[in-house]
Amino acid sequence: MKFRNILYILGALLFFLGLAMVFPLLWSIHYGDGDQLALILSLMLTGATGAILYLIFRPGRNDDPTLTHRDGFIIVSLGWILAGAFGSLPYLFSGILPNVVDAFFESMSGFTTTGATVLSGLDSLPRGILFWRSFTQWLGGMGIIVLSIAILPLLGVGGMQLYKAELPSRGSNKLKPRVAETARTLWLVYTILSAIEFILLLVGGMDSFNALCHTFSSMSSGGFSTSDAGVGQFGSAYIDGIITVFMFAAGVNFTLHYSLFTGNIGAVFRNSEFRFFLGVVLAATAAITFNLRFNILDDLAGCVRYASFHAVSFTTGTGFTTAEYTAWPTLSKAVLLLLMFIGGSAGSTTGSIKCLRIMLVLKHAYVELYRLVHPHAVKTVKLGTRIVYPETMASIWGFLILYLGLTLAAFLILAALGLDLLTAFSAVAATVGNVGPAFGAVSPPLTYGNLPELAKGILSFCMLAGRLEIYTLIILFVPEFWKK
Amino acid sequence: MKAIVIGAGEVGYSIADILSREGNDIILIDRDESRLKAIAENLDVQTIVGSGSNPRILKKAKLEQTEMIVAVTDSDETNIVACLIASAKSKVPIKIARIRTIDLDRESDLFGKDHLNIDLCINPEREAVKKAMRLMEYAGASEVIDFADGRIKLIAFSIEATCGMVGKNLEEFSRIYEEDALIASILRNDQLVAPSGSTVLQAKDYILVFVESSKVVPLLRFFGKDTKQAERVFIMGGGTTALLLAEELEERGVTTKIIEKRQNRCEVISGRLNRTICLHGDGTSQDLLREENIQEADYFVALTSDEEANILGALLAKQMGAKRALCLVNKIEYTHLIPMIGIDGVINPRQATIGKILHYIRKGKVISSTPLSDEKAEAVEFIALETSDITGRPLRVMKFPPGTIIGAIIRHDRVIIPSGETVILPGDHVILVTLRSAIPQIEKILTVKLDYFG
Repeated sequence: MKFRNILYILGALLFFLGLAMVFPLLWSIHYGDGDQLALILSLMLTGATGAILYLIFRPGRNDDPTLTHRDGFIIVSLGWILAGAFGSLPYLFSGILPNVVDAFFESMSGFTTTGATVLSGLDSLPRGILFWRSFTQWLGGMGIIVLSIAILPLLGVGGMQLYKAELPSRGSNKLKPRVAETARTLWLVYTILSAIEFILLLVGGMDSFNALCHTFSSMSSGGFSTSDAGVGQFGSAYIDGIITVFMFAAGVNFTLHYSLFTGNIGAVFRNSEFRFFLGVVLAATAAITFNLRFNILDDLAGCVRYASFHAVSFTTGTGFTTAEYTAWPTLSKAVLLLLMFIGGSAGSTTGSIKCLRIMLVLKHAYVELYRLVHPHAVKTVKLGTRIVYPETMASIWGFLILYLGLTLAAFLILAALGLDLLTAFSAVAATVGNVGPAFGAVSPPLTYGNLPELAKGILSFCMLAGRLEIYTLIILFVPEFWKK
Repeated sequence: MKAIVIGAGEVGYSIADILSREGNDIILIDRDESRLKAIAENLDVQTIVGSGSNPRILKKAKLEQTEMIVAVTDSDETNIVACLIASAKSKVPIKIARIRTIDLDRESDLFGKDHLNIDLCINPEREAVKKAMRLMEYAGASEVIDFADGRIKLIAFSIEATCGMVGKNLEEFSRIYEEDALIASILRNDQLVAPSGSTVLQAKDYILVFVESSKVVPLLRFFGKDTKQAERVFIMGGGTTALLLAEELEERGVTTKIIEKRQNRCEVISGRLNRTICLHGDGTSQDLLREENIQEADYFVALTSDEEANILGALLAKQMGAKRALCLVNKIEYTHLIPMIGIDGVINPRQATIGKILHYIRKGKVISSTPLSDEKAEAVEFIALETSDITGRPLRVMKFPPGTIIGAIIRHDRVIIPSGETVILPGDHVILVTLRSAIPQIEKILTVKLDYFG
C-alpha cells in the first residue's frame, strides 16, 4: 500500500468536487437566495484541500504510480467518505443544518443516491442548496470514482482497480479496451439520457430549475426533490409518467443502454436480467394496482399511475413519492418494503442487492432441487448462454449474507436506541438499499431528522456500505486487509 | 492504434502489456476464461473469451476497426485462420502469426500476399536456435544482439571478481582500453544504473556494451573472458529446438551429443542427424555425463521443456567440468536471475518472439528494437531523419528521458561510438538503450517534426 498514491488521487477527487460546486453557486447567484457565501466558502475549502493534497503527493518521475487492488478499496472507500464530508459543507456553512451529523447524513444520502433526508420545509430553502442536493445525487449515480477515471488520464491500470471497487456488480467486462474510455462512454450514455429526460420534463411544463433537479435525482435513482410534496407537487400524470420511465431506465444496466444507442435493440430484450427486472416491476405494479383498486381507490387508471410510479421508485431505490403510501393497505406496503431488497440491474445507478444476484440465487436454488431429483445430472447455473462458475456463485452468496447481516446488525442497534420495530427495520432497509423514504417514523412527511444522532451515524454507514456493494467498505474492517 | 492479440500465453500477455502501456487499445482473445480474468486484473485491456479463429468472436472484437492482429496461440492452425479472416474480412494492415511447425515456417511464398497474406511469421524454436548460435559464437558474452545488419553488437556479460577493471571508473576504462566501446548500461543488484564517467565498476556487475562486431572478441578477452570457440557441445533434451540446433552445429563441424529421455524420440533424432551422437538417458544423470566426458565439453545447452530441470542440469554440468552452460527458460521473470547463479547464457524463445514482434511493429523510423534483461530496458535502432529534432545538435545539449544512452552511430559504413560533443547528421543510423517506460517519449522525439511533413 502506498499512501502517497492514495492521497494524491484523493486530492484530485476533492479538487473536482470543489469544481462541481460551481454549478450550485451559479444557480444561487441567479436566484440571489443568500446562500452564495456558504457555497463559495465550501468551494474554496474543498478545491484548496484537494489541490494541496494533489500537489504534495503527486508522484515524481521515479515513483511507481501503479495501484494495487488493496489501494483501490482504500481510495474508493475514503474517496466516498471524503466526498460525503466535504459535500456537507454547504449545508453547514449556510446554517441550514448546523449539526455536523445531520449535514453529513444529508450529504452522504445525496452521493449514495439514497434520498433519505433530515430536512423539512424544502420549499423555503435557498435554490443553490436544493440544486446541490440533487447534483450530488447525479454525481454519485454513475459513481464519482468512475467520473474521475473518465476525466483523469493518469489512471491507467490502476483505474481498473478503482472501477471494480466502486461498483463490483458492474463486473470486469469493459465496453471499450481502456478503462478510461469505458468510464467516459458510461458517463456519456448517462448524460445523454439525462438530457432527454430534462427536455421531456420541460415539455411537461416544469421550470428549468425543477426539471434539472428532478432529472438529476431520477436518472441517478436518488430521490431528492425540491419540495416536501416530492414529485406530487406537480400533480401531473405526464410528469409522473416521464419520471417513471426514466427511473426505470436508471435501473437498467448501462451496457444495455449503450447497445441501444448503437442500434442493437435485440440485445436488450435477450438480456435475461433485463427481463427479470421488468418482470419484478410489472408484478409489483399489478399487485399494488389491484390492492389499491379493491381497497381505497375506484379509479383504475389512477391506481396504475400510483402503483407503477411507486413500484419503479422503490425497486430502483429512487424513493420519489407522489402519494401518501403509508396510508395504503398492508399488502401494498409489504410489497414496497420487499422491493427495497431487490434493486435494479447490475451496472445501473441503483443500489440494493440487484436483480442479477437475486436471479442467480434463485436459479442456484433450483439447480440444487434438480440435483435432488437427478443425483447424477450435470447441471450448472446459466446466465443466458454462459455458465456461472461456482466461485462467482460463492461470491454472490457471500454478498447476500453480508448484506442481510449488515441489515440485521443495524436493525438491532436502531432497536436498541428505542425506535419502534417498523421504523427501525424499514429505515435500515431503505438506507442499505439506497432507497430513501421508509415507513413508520421516517416516512414522509416525517424525516430522518428526528432520529437519535447515533442512529443517523449508523444509517450513514449503511448508505455507503450499500452503495459500494458491501465488500469494498467492509473489507477495510477485516484485520487481514491491513497485514503487510 | 487498435490491435487484437489472440492467445493469452506468456507471449500474448507481454505483447498486450507492452502495447497497452504505450497507449494502444488492445483486445485480448483467449479460450481460457480464468486466465483472462486474471489478466484483466493487471492490464488495461479488453478481454473476450472464445476462439481466435471464430469469425463471430473476431467480429465481437471489432475486427473492422483493427489495425493489427497478433496471433500467438499454441496452435498454428488457429493463428493462420485468424490472420486469414483478418485479411479477407476486413483488410487488417498488419498481421503477425506464430508458426511453430518446422518446414511450414520456411514456406515463405505460402505466407506471401497471394496466399495466406501474413506479414510476419515467427517460429520461436528457430529464434531460440539463432540466439544459442550467437551466444556460442561470442563465447563469454551472456547476451549478444545485432544492430546495423550485424555490424554493431550489443553484448552483455557479468564482471568477475578477478577482472582487472573492478574498482576502476568508466573514464579510466576508456583510457586503458583504447578501442571504441561504450558501456550503455549497468545492472547492479537487479537495478539499472545509468553510467557516467565517474561510475565505478564492481564485481558481479552485469554490463551492456556497444561494440563493433570485429572487436567483440578482443573486448571480451580484455575483461578476462575465455573466448575459445565451441568444439564439443552437449545438448540436453531432444525437442525441436535441440534438433534444429544440432543441425546448425553439424554444418559447422562441431561435435554434438544429444541426451534424450524418450527411446522413440532418440530414434527419430538419430535418423535425422548424421554425425551427432544421440544418447538415451537423463541429462541430469551424473553417471551418463561422466561416461560421455562432460569435462571435455565446451558447452552444455539445456533445451528440455522443463525449465527448472534445464537450470539444474546446466548447473550440474558446470559443476562436473563443462566450460560453459546455456539454458532454455520460458518464464521471462527468470531470465535476469540466470546470470547471477553462474549459468552463462539464457535462451528464451518467448522473449525472442516478443523482440521480433516489437521490432516489426516499431518499423518505419525505428528499424530494430530488442527487449533487454528483465524487459525493463530496450535497445532501439533508428535512422535519424533531417526533420527530426535530434539532428544537428551536439548530444550534450539534448534532453533525453532519464536512463537513455546513445550507444552507437553508423555513418557511411563507419561506426562512431559517440561522446557528448558528437553531432548526429541526417541519415545516420542511431542505436540507443532506453527504459521501456520512456519508449513513447523517444518515439516522439524521433518523429516530432516528421508528422508535420506527412
